[in-house]
Amino acid sequence: MEPPRSSGVGIDNSGEYSPEIAETLRFEEEIQSLIHPSSFDGSAAPTGGGSFTALLGLPANQAVELLHDSGAREPLASRIRVGEHPVHRPFHLPLDCSSAFPSNATLVDRAARFSVFAAEGSPASSSGRLKAEPQDSDSPPLDPIPTGPAKRKDTGRSKAKVTAKKSKNAEENTDGDKLPYVHVRARRGQATDNHSLAERARREKINARMKLLQELVPGCSKITGTALVLDEIINHVQTLQRQVEFLSMRLAAVNPRIDFSSLDSYLSAECGPVTVRNGPGGVVVDPSLWPTDATAEATRRLLVPQFWHIDLVPPQLQPQQSLTTWERDGAAHSQLLPNPTTSLFLYDPANSGDTNVPHRTAKLKTAEDRALNL
Amino acid sequence: MIASSSSACRSKTEEAGRKAQPPTKWRATAQQRVYGRRLLDALRATAGGGARAVKAAADSALALTARGQSRWSRAILLGRRRNRNRRNLLQIKDKIRSDRGRTRPASAPRGTDRLRVLRRLVPGCRKLSAASVLEEAADYVAALEMQVKAMRALADAFSGAARAAATEAQRGA
Repeated sequence: MEPPRSSGVGIDNSGEYSPEIAETLRFEEEIQSLIHPSSFDGSAAPTGGGSFTALLGLPANQAVELLHDSGAREPLASRIRVGEHPVHRPFHLPLDCSSAFPSNATLVDRAARFSVFAAEGSPASSSGRLKAEPQDSDSPPLDPIPTGPAKRKDTGRSKAKVTAKKSKNAEENTDGDKLPYVHVRARRGQATDNHSLAERARREKINARMKLLQELVPGCSKITGTALVLDEIINHVQTLQRQVEFLSMRLAAVNPRIDFSSLDSYLSAECGPVTVRNGPGGVVVDPSLWPTDATAEATRRLLVPQFWHIDLVPPQLQPQQSLTTWERDGAAHSQLLPNPTTSLFLYDPANSGDTNVPHRTAKLKTAEDRALNL
Repeated sequence: MIASSSSACRSKTEEAGRKAQPPTKWRATAQQRVYGRRLLDALRATAGGGARAVKAAADSALALTARGQSRWSRAILLGRRRNRNRRNLLQIKDKIRSDRGRTRPASAPRGTDRLRVLRRLVPGCRKLSAASVLEEAADYVAALEMQVKAMRALADAFSGAARAAATEAQRGA
């Protein structure tokens, strides 16, 4: 499980995610230590009774650390006293995780949440709960069960760093233990029949999406009221569409006059280190037409060959003629390739061109792959 | 022609498998690069003039960059492949209907009306529920913003390059 994750992260942005990955790895070990008690070192044997005494059986420093840790840990200890199970095992988790906890606020939050459920008095789930707690602590996920106050807090800080698998397990543990048959807990003063529950869920979904939209559209966060916000959104969408139309008109006006050769330099300049290789070369529909003319220095430097797939060009004379006019304008510098390549978008590596076709296609494919992998 | 280009585009696309939150994935510059490339190539495919063709190509490229994860992108791509004459007729019909509706006084402040308008604006959302329309709208807005940015950059680059080429030609000649 671990190697794919790390490799996946390595591709994206290793600098950003490595601390989280270290965290997840640490949690992996802890959870495995949970599952396999034999791998424990220095812990009390899993005995039948006396949870708290078993806790005292832990090495002194660990117990001290547990009890004197941040105030958020207090509920943990107190709940252990309530429960009647050998809960010493999970205590290793907070000790190891203490350095990895993002903030105490999340713990307090979670403690508050769990204390609510503890009040319901489901002792059978205490061990499962505790096991779930530290797992949960690293990835405060969005509760699928919209329990009233808990959901609000969760949505406030939902930033899943750990993979969803562990959090899902945690959620399933907690949900299965606490609320076996009821999915939504009604808030105070609200109807509890099925219809209003469904309606409320639907309304909350819509409101969540509306909030998302509000953040997206500039200037909508100040507006209160669904109707006005919707108006603003519609206005924004129409504005964007109109802008697209105007820009397309502009592009269409400029299109015939450009040779697409100097374009990629601008594109790469603005978009960062794009691996566009410039070089002469091109598959043309009509190979015999265009000589290899070396024109101005700028255009030669910025050349991009134009590979035209045969299917791409419609079976009319017009585009070919427009191509030829571009060529005759003298801005382009292309070579002839007798065989058309099969791939559509190929960028030539920076060499002077007359390499044989299969060689070139290999190079081009890698360049294309690199450009697309981004 | 656009249909063939889009099919060719699709045959060439590689699935990089981006799994980001739908509205925020459009913000990444990586997406802009991908879209820029696709747009460029699609533009090369369009025959000379024709603003509508350019817009169609741009929209198709945008829908392609969405990798079919959103309904509106699928609607755009599928709509292009179908018979274009039929689509034009449908659009004309819609225009007539909407004109009659516009004679009514300003849209009553009801959420349903606005939802209807939104459904019409976002392609492919005619029969969706309110929640899905909002979700699609969020994705669509993000994608449109990226499209506008990319097209504006391209247009500026185009005009700059055209000017440069013109001056070069003048100097050369």
